[in-house]
Parts: sequence; C-alpha cells; structure tokens
Amino acid sequence: MPDLHLQATVNGRKVSRMVQPHQRLLDVLRDDLNLTGNKEGCGAGECGTCSVFVNGVLMKSCLMPAAKAQGATVETIESLAKTGELSVLQKAFHKAGASQCGYCIPGMVMAATAALRANPFADREEIKERLGGNICRCTGYQKIFDAVEMARDVNNGALSMAAFEEINDGEGKYIGRNIRRIDAPSKVSGALRYAGDMVLPGMLHVQVLRSPHPHARIVSIDTSEAEAMEGVEGVISCADVPGEDGFGVFVHDQPIMARGKVRYVGEAIAAVAAEDLLTARKALAAIKTVYDILPAVFDAEEALRPGAPVIHDYAPDNITTHIPIRVGDVEKGFAEADLVIEEHYTTQAIEHAYLEPEAGVAYVDHDGVVTIHSPDQNITHHRHMLSKIIAKPISKVRFIMSPVGGGFGGKEDMIYQGMLALLAMKTRRPVRLVFTREESIATTAKRHPSKTTLRMGMTRGGRITAVSFKMVSDGGAYGLSTEGVMRKAAILGAGPYDIPNLRMDTIGVYTNNTPSGAFRSFGALQSQFATESHLDLFAERLGLDPFEIRRINMMRDGGRTHTKQALKSVSLARVLDAAERGCGWEPGVPNERGATRSDLGRAGVRPAVTLGARFGETAAQKAGKQEAAE
Amino acid sequence: MLLCDHYITARSLDEAFDAMAAHAGNYRLVAGATDTLPWAREGRAGDVHVPALIDISTIAELNRREVADGRAHIGAATPIQRFLDDAALTHAMPAAPHCAVWFADDQIRALATVGGNIVNASPAADVTPCLIAHDAVVELAARRDGRIVRRTEKLASFIRGPGKTGLAADEILIGVTCDALAGYGGTFEKVGHRRSLVISVVCLTVLMKLDAAGRVIEDVRLAIAGVRPIPCRIDAVETALRGAHLSMAAIEAAAAMPLDLVQSRSRQDYRRDVTRGFLARGLVAAAKRAGADPQVFENREAAYA
Repeated sequence: MPDLHLQATVNGRKVSRMVQPHQRLLDVLRDDLNLTGNKEGCGAGECGTCSVFVNGVLMKSCLMPAAKAQGATVETIESLAKTGELSVLQKAFHKAGASQCGYCIPGMVMAATAALRANPFADREEIKERLGGNICRCTGYQKIFDAVEMARDVNNGALSMAAFEEINDGEGKYIGRNIRRIDAPSKVSGALRYAGDMVLPGMLHVQVLRSPHPHARIVSIDTSEAEAMEGVEGVISCADVPGEDGFGVFVHDQPIMARGKVRYVGEAIAAVAAEDLLTARKALAAIKTVYDILPAVFDAEEALRPGAPVIHDYAPDNITTHIPIRVGDVEKGFAEADLVIEEHYTTQAIEHAYLEPEAGVAYVDHDGVVTIHSPDQNITHHRHMLSKIIAKPISKVRFIMSPVGGGFGGKEDMIYQGMLALLAMKTRRPVRLVFTREESIATTAKRHPSKTTLRMGMTRGGRITAVSFKMVSDGGAYGLSTEGVMRKAAILGAGPYDIPNLRMDTIGVYTNNTPSGAFRSFGALQSQFATESHLDLFAERLGLDPFEIRRINMMRDGGRTHTKQALKSVSLARVLDAAERGCGWEPGVPNERGATRSDLGRAGVRPAVTLGARFGETAAQKAGKQEAAE
Repeated sequence: MLLCDHYITARSLDEAFDAMAAHAGNYRLVAGATDTLPWAREGRAGDVHVPALIDISTIAELNRREVADGRAHIGAATPIQRFLDDAALTHAMPAAPHCAVWFADDQIRALATVGGNIVNASPAADVTPCLIAHDAVVELAARRDGRIVRRTEKLASFIRGPGKTGLAADEILIGVTCDALAGYGGTFEKVGHRRSLVISVVCLTVLMKLDAAGRVIEDVRLAIAGVRPIPCRIDAVETALRGAHLSMAAIEAAAAMPLDLVQSRSRQDYRRDVTRGFLARGLVAAAKRAGADPQVFENREAAYA
C-alpha cells in the first residue's frame, strides 16, 4: 500500500512521518505519535472525545483524513499543559469537579477552550451551544458548564485564581467538604491512560469474529487460511480453551467463544491476534464458519410458551430465574378493596453508552502470570472464573482494573478478557483489543426489557390492600446478571410501601436477543416504573393527591418489608417533602390543573432548547466592551 | 473502516480531472469527508476499499464566494461555518445563519461543505432547502475530449430522490448561484432528537420581504425538508401570502392551510403538526426580522416565540 508523507507541526514540534493514505488524523496522533490524550469514543463524529485544533480551528479528528492535515498546525489536549502547569480551563475543570470517568474530558476541555477563544464573554447558553458537539455520559453537564464559566470569569478578571484553590478546612475530614478530586489533573490533562491507550513492546492487535445469526448450530470453524496469513500470530476458537469453559455473574452459562452453537447476533466465534489491525481484520474474513440455522425466539413471553426454541439445554423452559414472593392473602386483600386496577407496563432494552468502548491488554509476565488490564467492574470474580477456564492456579491469574471510562454496570461481564488471556498465552506476546462503538453497542449487555402485569387493590381512602405483580424480563442469550436483576426487581419493585397482601413474581427468560445484564438501579427501574405509574392512576381515579397517596402507604420507622427486612429508620417522608417542594407541585389530583402553571418558568426549571445564543450580545460581552471603552 | 491506496489532494480542476481519468471507476470524490468516514463503518457500508480518494476541497474555484448583481455565488467546497462568519454571505442570505447554527456542531461545520450537503441528497438535508428558497442553481463541470464542459441546473430539480442527484459520473459540483436576498427577514426552524448533531425530523426555511412600512408582504419564500424524499418549496402558502397585508390572522390562516407535504415513512401526524407550528412561528420571526410594524402583532406573537 503506497504511503503518504505527512508533514505537520504537532504541539509545537515538526513532525514528518510516512503514514498510510487511509489513516485519519486521530490514527496518526494516537497510533503513530502516541498522543493518546484525545480518545476515540465513536469514530463517527458524534462524541467529540477526539476534538483537536487544526490551524486553530477545533475539529473532530476521527472525521478528518490525515492527508488534510498536510502542512497544518495541530494542537492536541497535550498542548494545553505542556509545561506541566494546567491551563486556566483545566484548573477550573479540576476545581468544579467537572470530570468523572474522564473519558470525554480531553475533548470537552478542547471544546471549552475553543468556545472561550471564540467568545471570551460567552454566557452559559452560548457555552452550551458551542459545546454541543461533545457528549458526556456521567456528569449531566452542569459541572462542566460551571467550570467553563469559572474559567471565563478568571480570564476576564471577574474571579481570582484563588477560586481554584482547595478549601482545606476539613483537617482530614472529607464528608460534607468541597474536596477536589485527586484523579482530576490526570483526566483534564489527557495524561491518564485507559486500556485502549496502552501500548506494550511487541504488542499484537486483536479482532473478534462474531456471529451473524441469532441462533445456529456451528457445523465447523476453519481457521487454517487465517492462521497461514503473514502477520497473523494467533487464532483461537472454543477449541483453544484448556479448562472448564463458562462464565457469568450467577450461572456460568456463557463460553469464552461460542461452543456448539451461537445464541445471539454478535456472539464471539473466534479471535485473531496480528501484527496490525488491518491484518487482523483481513484474517477474520478468511475464517470459514459453516452454520446450521436454528429457529430463534426474540420475545420473552413467546420463549415461555411450550414448543418455543430452547436456548440452553439445561433450561428447557427457557427460564433463567424465577423469584416468587408471597405475603398475606392476596385474594382476601382484593375483596377488601374499593377499587382494583390492572395494567400492563413495558420497558425496552437500553444501552449504557459509556464514552469508553470496551478495551483490554493482556500478557503473560516473567513468572508465567496471565495478566489482564481492562476497565472491568468485577475483577476479583473474573479472576476466579478465568483461573478455572484457563486451567491455571489462581496465583497465575492477575486482573488489573484500568481506569473505567464509564461503566454503569455495563462492564461487569467478562465478555472479552478470556479471549485476550488465551491469545496472550498462545502467542506469548502482549495483545490488545479495542472495541469499535458499533461492536460495543451490538454485543454487550443491555438493560433488561420487561413486561409487567400489575393488579392492585385500594380503599377509597387510598390504602393499598393487595398487590399482584408479575414481571417477565428478556434476559437475552446468556444469564450474566439476570438472576440478581430479578432478585432486586422483586425486592424493590413494590416500592417503599407497606403492602399487607402481596404476590410477586419476577421471571428472567432466555431469548436470542443480545444478553441483558447489570445497569444501574438493577431491575428497580423497570419494576418501580410500573408501581409508581399505578399509584398515579389510583390518585386520578380516587381523586387523591399523588404525594398523599404515597404518604398514606409509605414504610415507616420500625416497618417490615415484604422480604421480612426490619427497617430501623425510613427517610421516605423527607424525600417526598423535598420532591414536592422541589418540583413546585400544586396540591390536588394529578389530572386536573388550575388556570396557570406555577410549576413552570420558575428558577431551576430549564426552558426548551433554543439555538442562536451567539447571535445576541450577552450581558458579559456588553460589560467587557464597556470596560474596554473605559 | 474506509481504506484507500491513494489519497490525492487536487490543487486545480485539471488535477482533479486528471486523477478521475487515472482512476476511472475506482475513485470517490471527497470534500469535507464528514459523511464519507461514518458511512464506511459497521452497520452501514462496513469496511470499504476505495482505490483512490480524490480530495477537491482545496481547489480555489470550489472555494470562491461572491455576492454581486443580486446573486450570490457559493463554491461547493465552502464550509457550512461560512454561513455564520462571512458577513457578505449572511447579509445576502438572512436565513442561512439560523440554518447553520443548527447544522451538526461547531466542529463539523468547519469541515462539512455546502456541496457535500447537496450531493448527499439526504431528504433531511438542512442547507439544501435553504438554498432552494433562494432559487439556487447548481454549476457543474466535466472534462470531455480534453475540454472542460460546464452546465447549470436548478437545485430543486437536480435533487432526484434520497441519495440521488443529476450529477453525471464524470462531473464535479463547482458551486451554487442563488438570489441575494438582502433586506429579507430570515429564519430556520428545525426539530430532531437533541440540540446538536441531529438529523432533522422537520426543518423549514422562511424568508420574508415587507414594504417600507412593514405592513405588506412583498415576497415570502418557504422551503421544507425532512418530511418527504426531496426538499421543496411550499408554493400554496407563498402564493396566499405574497401581496397580503401582514397580520397575525393572515399568518395563522396560512399555517392552517391544508397541505399535502408529508410523505415520510414514520410519524406523519407529528410532522404535520410540527409543520403547522413551524409555519406560524417562522413567519412571525421572519416578519419581525424583516422590520414588521410592531403594531401588527399586538403582542400576540408571544404565543409563537
């Protein structure tokens, strides 16, 4: 492949490199120049972690062919704190607590730098508008905007640099104090290396062959052609697993790579380690897999019907977990009710969408310890599972948790670390795998989609007499965290309410969909959505205030939950009071309103999105101009 | 992943045509490349090997911008950002800054080009309807028998359908020429799933010219996209309003006219509702920017702010 001679000035230094003509500016910066401060979050111009200055103009380097930077001046996040001292904006991000996982932050700092260069007096609305191309998944943006405003004010002399100092009045105390995050400087400067930023001498690049079918028997996998390719150092499939293959948070039903059959689109079949990424991708295309297509099922309720395709032999009814809870006499409770409402609630799969796609590095160290660096939310459990899978004593397996660029539960499953371990063992070289954004979305766990049937009885006065709750959740092709999610749904689904008669069933079901797994709130979101919506329906039908109906039924100090947990203190009354005040609730039934909406347009209520903040002159700009005139 | 063997940066039209001849049938023209790179990814085209990418974004003629004799010329390689920061352009195209500020984000606007937005021929293109409201004409060039041959075509008919244009295989889009509409009030209404980086579910360009007193609509131009395969003008409403006295009643009546515009595959009722709202709000905003007599609205325009 003909090379391209790229000459540019990068962070003040002349750079002259032979690069491949298809490379993007981001590839040259990260792979050829080892400037890994700016990240790749999506590769499609959506997220902005790759934002760099090209000839002074901020650009998304994943959308820019490297050839376009010919002769250009490029500045990356590393240019901002070149002397080691953080820039004003970086200090402001540190002080404001604007970085959490930190993966978006290099791009965010660059976008904020561009915004204040474009308009040193930009107000908050204009800052929001100018940062619109950069996505953060952790912060909710408020602290980022706080930081940019703080930096603007320091730049303009309205705020002293002393504002960045830590308020150190705690004498070793932290709770309730405004403490700067100790990991923030490494994040705002781009110095922190995530797993995908790690480079080891002799490192190979891994790519994964994935199933195009939702349910199929694997007739054969022929890797011989791929293995014969120059530059390919190792190819693995399930045949390469030396020990007892199987992982999962509760049930170990998932092999490192598909064994015998595939159960969802995107399931790993084989993996290749090669000298470079392109060779690894070419090798994937050379692996020949023959499938015998099986009937598939994509709906949890259909999977429960007799005669439905069986996903796992050990569970012929396709049930992963069924959690039943029984309290009191439900039929007696319904008989005592003045009103009984039955409704159906559904929720969909949700992607975690952390900014850092899955990535990992593995090697076998000098003592023969298989070592894996990855943003892994459960390293101790994974270490134990992997030791069985690769048939090595626990002392020869080491997991190192690299900085997690957002997890939200989505990185609790050992879905790729096993492949890295096997390839490091097979090639005796360090290996690295970085998921693409598409791969991350298509193959990793989602929030469980759910269907709930909820029947509740209540007296005219608003007291719950009975609840019958059945939630069927689509766990997808493998168990992962389904059992735990079903338990939490059963424990928390009826809400923080004192319910005398209860019949609760939460059922996790195997289907041929992408596996469902942990996602923060862990089953409570789906189940409480049903219960809380139901209480609002009762408020409408009985003419009660929705806050009142919750106060009537809430757990109190000394209460006992349906799982027989004794509650010493319950804060729900305070929570309801705060929520009622905070939202500006007008007392009364939820489906009737007064002539005016006093809950809207108040301080703290965000108006609908508008654009064009930059067209108007802000108060700060006017002040700035006046100052300049004086 | 987009793979290529050659990345050729053409410095002139002739260099571009040379490269097109040398790699006949095996090349793809790129300008901003902001749509080309995301296209070559999993779920869309996947790994794509294009033997030669020919970058036409630095050719001087494709970067020419000029406003003269009532017409504006915009080179095809002009970044969308120029609609926000080129004073001559924003003067001649009063709706364009409002269109541009909703286009992708600050960073992509610096790379993405006017020509790219046209030849992509997305039903949800934002710049195309804005240009159609200016009666834009595209200028095309090909090299045939060693001679550069040029032709023009109305933009409205040049877009043939989703992803389809009248661009011949050997042609390059040089630029667009359109009416300079200084003195018009302009606005751009857009709705999508979020603020930035969003594909229009509905977008509407509104341009209005009033008489000196700010009471009579001398001209009005409306172009819509996101609701049908090809962006189009809304002739019926333009005809009803042209020459009319400006009033809230006239605007409300115009917005309520039965229109058969929406041909989308999904959410048709929603798009019809939004179109009515956008017409009312857009006409009010354009009229105010065109210097409407404040008494016309009697403060009733607040309902449409």
